Amino acid sequence: MADDKDVWVFSEKPALQAELIAGAQQLTSHTGGQVMAVVLGARSQAEQALEQGAQRVLWLGELPSGRLVEDIVPTLAASVQDKRPFGVIIGATIRGRAVAGRLAARLGVAALADVLEFQWDDSALLARHMVFGGGAVRIDRPLAGPVIATTGQGIFEAGALQARPKGEIEPLSWVEPPWQAAVIERRSRAVSSVNLSAAKRVVCPGRGVARQEDLGLIEELAQALSAEMACTRPLAEGLGWLPRERYIGISGAMIKPDLYLGVGVSGQAQHTIGMSESRVVVAINKDRAAPLMTQSDYAVEGDLYQVVPALIRALKARKAK
Amino acid sequence: MKIVVCAKLAPDASDIEVRSDGSISLERAEWRIGSFDLQAIEAAVRLRDAHGGSVTALSVGPQRINHSKLRKDLLSRGPDELVLVAEDALNGADTAVTAQVLAAAVRKIGAVDLVLTGEGSADLYFQQVGLQLGELLAVPVFNAVSKIEVSDSQVRIERSLEEETEVLELPLPAVLAVTTDIHTPRLPNMKEILLAAKKPVYEWSLADLGLENTPEPRVEAVSLRAPRPVERKRILIEGSPEEAAQSLAGYLVKEGVV
Amino acid sequence: MTEDVFDAIIVGAGVAGSSAAYRLARAGLQVVLIERGPFPGSKNLSGGVLYGRVLHDLIPNFWESAPVERVITNQIVSFLTADSSVNLDFKTEAFNQPPYNGFTVLRARFDRWLAEQAEAAGVMLVPGIKVDGVVKRDGKVVGISADNEEMLAKVVIAADGANSFIAQQAGLRDKIPAGHAAVGVKEVIGLPREVIEERFHLNGNEGAAYNIVGFATRGVPGGGFLYTNQESLSVGLVIHLEALVERQLKPAEIFEDFLAHPMIAPLIKGGKLLEYGAHLVPEGGLKMMPPLAADGLLLVGDAAGFGVNNGFVVRGMDLAIGSAVAAAETIIEAQAADDFSAARLHSYPDRLEKSFVMQDMRTYARAVDFMKNDRLFEAYPTLLSNILADIYRQDAQPKKNLAPTLLKNLKTSKISLLDLLKDALAGGRAL
Ligand SMILES: Cc1cc2nc3c(=O)[nH]c(=O)nc-3n(C[C@H](O)[C@H](O)[C@H](O)COP(=O)(O)OP(=O)(O)OC[C@H]3O[C@@H](n4cnc5c(N)ncnc54)[C@H](O)[C@@H]3O)c2cc1C
Ligand SMILES: Cc1cc2nc3c(=O)[nH]c(=O)nc-3n(C[C@H](O)[C@H](O)[C@H](O)COP(=O)(O)OP(=O)(O)OC[C@H]3O[C@@H](n4cnc5c(N)ncnc54)[C@H](O)[C@@H]3O)c2cc1C
Ligand SMILES: Nc1ncnc2c1ncn2[C@@H]1O[C@H](COP(=O)(O)O)[C@@H](O)[C@H]1O
Repeated sequence: MADDKDVWVFSEKPALQAELIAGAQQLTSHTGGQVMAVVLGARSQAEQALEQGAQRVLWLGELPSGRLVEDIVPTLAASVQDKRPFGVIIGATIRGRAVAGRLAARLGVAALADVLEFQWDDSALLARHMVFGGGAVRIDRPLAGPVIATTGQGIFEAGALQARPKGEIEPLSWVEPPWQAAVIERRSRAVSSVNLSAAKRVVCPGRGVARQEDLGLIEELAQALSAEMACTRPLAEGLGWLPRERYIGISGAMIKPDLYLGVGVSGQAQHTIGMSESRVVVAINKDRAAPLMTQSDYAVEGDLYQVVPALIRALKARKAK
Repeated sequence: MKIVVCAKLAPDASDIEVRSDGSISLERAEWRIGSFDLQAIEAAVRLRDAHGGSVTALSVGPQRINHSKLRKDLLSRGPDELVLVAEDALNGADTAVTAQVLAAAVRKIGAVDLVLTGEGSADLYFQQVGLQLGELLAVPVFNAVSKIEVSDSQVRIERSLEEETEVLELPLPAVLAVTTDIHTPRLPNMKEILLAAKKPVYEWSLADLGLENTPEPRVEAVSLRAPRPVERKRILIEGSPEEAAQSLAGYLVKEGVV
Repeated sequence: MTEDVFDAIIVGAGVAGSSAAYRLARAGLQVVLIERGPFPGSKNLSGGVLYGRVLHDLIPNFWESAPVERVITNQIVSFLTADSSVNLDFKTEAFNQPPYNGFTVLRARFDRWLAEQAEAAGVMLVPGIKVDGVVKRDGKVVGISADNEEMLAKVVIAADGANSFIAQQAGLRDKIPAGHAAVGVKEVIGLPREVIEERFHLNGNEGAAYNIVGFATRGVPGGGFLYTNQESLSVGLVIHLEALVERQLKPAEIFEDFLAHPMIAPLIKGGKLLEYGAHLVPEGGLKMMPPLAADGLLLVGDAAGFGVNNGFVVRGMDLAIGSAVAAAETIIEAQAADDFSAARLHSYPDRLEKSFVMQDMRTYARAVDFMKNDRLFEAYPTLLSNILADIYRQDAQPKKNLAPTLLKNLKTSKISLLDLLKDALAGGRAL
């Protein structure tokens, strides 16, 4: 089986796993190998991977208590060295990134981070990703195998679930990690578990909003539009006005809604890269030269503190009709 | 406690020039400390101030990172000394090469208790180097670290994951990649800037690190271009807030989004 | 606790500040140079022709290592009306020989280089720090403060530009009154080197400088300029502030018209906007010059009001360097005599009197008033253009001699012969 053709996927998140499987299928259609999922979780999750289109599952069972997902690294490294797949695509969550980086170092390669697209140049794999905070697109060619790559949510489209998958589930056993961290505590953060990627309409306040209490105004606008609230990074990190899950951009969520409305957002590349595929882009900004204003369908030049209340009234009036 | 903080010096993304054919030039770009590495420096300096010891700033890259302004900028933020590995062979180094050179430098610095890195570098932002470095040094390594408490040979960290906060305890030495909200980086003051000029800077070559050859690159950058701009209607709506709001609401209805 | 006391603290790393710092450090003094921008030059703006003799005295053959753009070999004076232009083109090989008459420079690069020379000479450069004020003890300036920190020195040099907050704080001057100020607006427009050389008929490193009067400023006293750099043009206007306010015009509007003028538009065609900026230009000349020295403080460059702006030339950088050197030499003497008394520092104005700085300031003292003469900006360019139009228009009419053409045009213009004479005399003295 050591034919360097198979493509493995690994993600701690089942939903992301389905997308990674779709991405892996793109690769195996060139390499001619199988798509295999490495699953850390209940047997049902292993079966789910088969339904999602994996042809084979390497199943580690549930995470033993006191262990971390990251502890999978030595196990993964040993299996990769043993079974020699063409590559491993790993879901770009925080833990996924840790796994990818450490695995790459063990295998003596560089992980391709946050891949947006795979391409083939004859027999050579190319990976496209953003650098300079979205200011540039770079295409990389891995010079050594196995290919270790991470991709985030929304890059590949998961296929339909298969009713009667045929694949096999092969158990995998743990390789003891050389060191271990003691888990002292886990607190789930009061996350509204918003799924921005699924929202049809998104209202996004930026630093143009002067005070945290003024977010109420933006919230009201979001309600009038039946939109989700997002934000730019400084509002979530640094100011901490909104949870981190809500910021859009290269290091945050990538969205493709029907409507994106930026309020007091300057439109730096790091942000716009996360929303540039929105169908209709609207900007409200007092500076008509702000980058987002020149990259939008409708740019309203004005003070948000005047325009937003007027817009809420206008929207309500239309609804009332 | 001996702390090493890794900071990448890279061209400023806001100085990217896009040529008419979509290719980009960084020739005129100003080189800076990555804005997400400043937090790592701040975290390192605060740990030293609380527990004693020293902070060594470490940066690797092409010759041009060895510039008086960059050196001073790094040192005025509080580290005690600076180690630079500046060779043009490291221009555009991939994460694997960078991590290997950093690992060799950390070993040469010796007796290091803690290595901090930023969340991601200013140019690549692959969020990879710290993790690879830890693995190469074969010590505990974690990313997304938003709090660090040191006691004896232990460190207790908080990680800000997507949906939870995780508190872990690990033995030292360790490598930690910190989040951008771990601390607000300081603006150096006059005295620190003056002091920076007097702090030691060590310039090590790859040979000094025992790396006879530059580590083999694992990834080759085939092209670097400006992203294709999405065509937009670019309708500018001016006038009084009421007028503007009315006209925007009208457009939104026409677009079928409300 | 003992406090470090430096020999000199210089506020502002523009051309003035860095020159003074360089001169002092070369004489072995301990100098701190503080600049609010992230690096010297990052916030500075000027048209960009440096008349370089004085810098050559300070740093011989500086052009060999400095980031100068082009040697100015072609000086062109343009008179504009709304739709025409008359150019006086002056080109001489003499300007193309060392030590060269003038260079175009881009301040972001040039100021940075100059500060680096100062650093190499031993100056301690402190960028990214805005000085908040001077520290006074017993009426004497003994240092500066920034971010609630104090730093002490035997003497402070205010080289912080036209608005000099330091000079104001020390009580040497007020804000510049609108009547004594102009506003400079400028764009740097990128063009390929070959295009510039072809468009302006330049060989190699030769450069052209257009000094533009007339419609350039829609009749508001002031002037325009267009200078060639290696791969860009510096285009701008310097407009008298008071008249601007009186006529309720916005600099940006005038600037837009200027760039669209049929003489300017083809010169900048196809270019890409690289930088835009606006800056105050002191133009009161001798009239608004503050006391140049106080106990523990010297003013240099724009902070002291050294500038010449007469519509045909905008100068300030060379005067800034000249005054900085004079201030530095005063301090070097004080250091040698270990005497930083007010009396000793007050020899700085005397030293300036003997240098080209004050001589030029006197020579051009009348220029400012001459410039406020509306005829210069409206009537004369129109007159010149009409005369030339008459001479060159081929409309199947018999041509008159030159003299009647001149007279006819003079009559229809609103200029009297007496005015013309007066202006010729005044202009001769002022420019
Ligand atoms: C490597 C890297 C990664 C990054 N990742 C991300 C990311 O994923 N997501 C992200 O968002 N950012 C990211 N950033 C940060 C990004 O560069 C910008 O700093 C950020 O997006 C700016 O946020 P903003 O538009 O809210 O604020 P600003 O840039 O400060 O813009 C505020 C805007 O509000 C306007 N305004 C002010 N007052 C009013 C008013 N009263 N009415 C109307 N308009 C007003 C102003 O004109 C201005 O245009 C990243 C940066 C780096 C270096
Ligand atoms: C549009 C325009 C065109 C011009 N064209 C020409 C020309 O072609 N040729 C010519 O010779 N002259 C020209 N001038 C004039 C010339 O620019 C000035 O005379 C010259 O810049 C003066 O130099 P300076 O060093 O005194 O001041 P500046 O160049 O203004 O430098 C002052 C420095 O002090 C710093 N600073 C200010 N306040 C503080 C503070 N509180 N703390 C720390 N740092 C501070 C500033 O950031 C700056 O770096 C032009 C001016 C303008 C506006
Ligand atoms: N060339 C470098 N020199 C020093 N530190 C680096 C270098 N490259 C990356 N790092 C560190 O590794 C982190 C992650 O980098 P990256 O994987 O490129 O996003 C950065 O935030 C830095 O702290």
